[in-house]
Amino acid sequence: MPGKIKRMIDEILAERSKGNEMVEKIVRTKLILKGIDPAKFTESSDDDPAIIEKLEKMMQN
Amino acid sequence: MTISIASSGKATVDQAVNELAGAFDSVNVAMLVYFASTRYDPEEISAKMHAAFPGATVFGCSTAGEIVSGRLLKGSVVAMSFDRESILDVKVEVVHSLRKKANVSEAFRSFERHFGETANEMKPSQYLGIILIDGMCGVEEKVMDAIGDKTNVFFIGGSAADDLRFKKSHVYANGRSYSDAAVLTLLKPAMPFDLVKTQSVREMGPELVVTRANEDKREIIEFNNKPASVAYAEALGVSVHELAACFPSHPLGLVIDGEPYIRSPTQITGDSVFFHCSSVEGMPLSLLELTNLIDDTRDALERSKAKLGGISGVIVFNCAHRALELEYKKLIRNYGELFADFPTIGFNSYGEQCIGHMNQTATMIVFG
Repeated sequence: MPGKIKRMIDEILAERSKGNEMVEKIVRTKLILKGIDPAKFTESSDDDPAIIEKLEKMMQN
Repeated sequence: MTISIASSGKATVDQAVNELAGAFDSVNVAMLVYFASTRYDPEEISAKMHAAFPGATVFGCSTAGEIVSGRLLKGSVVAMSFDRESILDVKVEVVHSLRKKANVSEAFRSFERHFGETANEMKPSQYLGIILIDGMCGVEEKVMDAIGDKTNVFFIGGSAADDLRFKKSHVYANGRSYSDAAVLTLLKPAMPFDLVKTQSVREMGPELVVTRANEDKREIIEFNNKPASVAYAEALGVSVHELAACFPSHPLGLVIDGEPYIRSPTQITGDSVFFHCSSVEGMPLSLLELTNLIDDTRDALERSKAKLGGISGVIVFNCAHRALELEYKKLIRNYGELFADFPTIGFNSYGEQCIGHMNQTATMIVFG
């Protein structure tokens, strides 16, 4: 099911930032430093298992 | 609320520690941060600094040169004390065996128990994290990544150094010296604070996308599907033979929202280029060129001063690459003078941390 990565990213951004724009920007930066640029993922992006694993790890905390 | 500084270049640990202890009101010190040349025995200085300030949280690391208000030093120890009115609360944890696994979970469980809230609920405006990490461990980016997963609190700091010997660096806490370790300090300052990340580079244009890399070795094997050294040299318009000589003046950077996170190249082996910070496959790196380090640092400090309405203290984590550039350009004195007007300590580091790990940067904690 494509688009899982975008949904996970959106969930992480919303959960971590709780609407705080500054925090959202920092979380985006953290994701890019992990090699995951939120801007590159859409609802039709393939579900790359390696990226999903990184995001799951981030969500566990 | 008082932030005080002192430095010593005395020959022995005993003499240096006595000089520092005499400079501070040791009864009222809540937290003391120090940076020391490796000419002071690591175990001895950590034990004696700890003993000199009973009841205080004392931590630090080894250096490749020290910074104190107005001056850049070598072979010395610099210290900053925070009195009990300056720090609402502070907790230090040591993370061991970093090369085996960059696991910060136990440290964060301890922080959560101590402060009584979960790490992901801690507000970045109330808490400040300081990281001092062994600069020879080669895993700073993994540690920062793990910290970033745990909390929104900013952790800022530097990689401990060893006076450019590149053998063994040390972090200090609890009266002990540690290698292959990081000292994480989480505190609630009573005064406002700002975090500064400044680097003196601009983008040159060509983008090198990492198409093959060995992250653990900080090795880039291919850029743009070409051998890394060839693509890097082509982007610069030089031969591969000339490339290494261009490294100090033309590092690469991951640019996020116009903010470069510099990766400094160290050497070419075969077709690969090795860096002081790893990059992930798919990451676009920009070719950079140096700008005016003095002007850029001054501007960064001025912006922070304006934001806070004044500066009561600065801790600087200044890349050893920048220190070498300052020496080469005979700007050491000018750089020191940037910090002359406020209590400042710092050290020349083997890497800098702020959100992530980076090189050729100065990260700073500025207290208002």
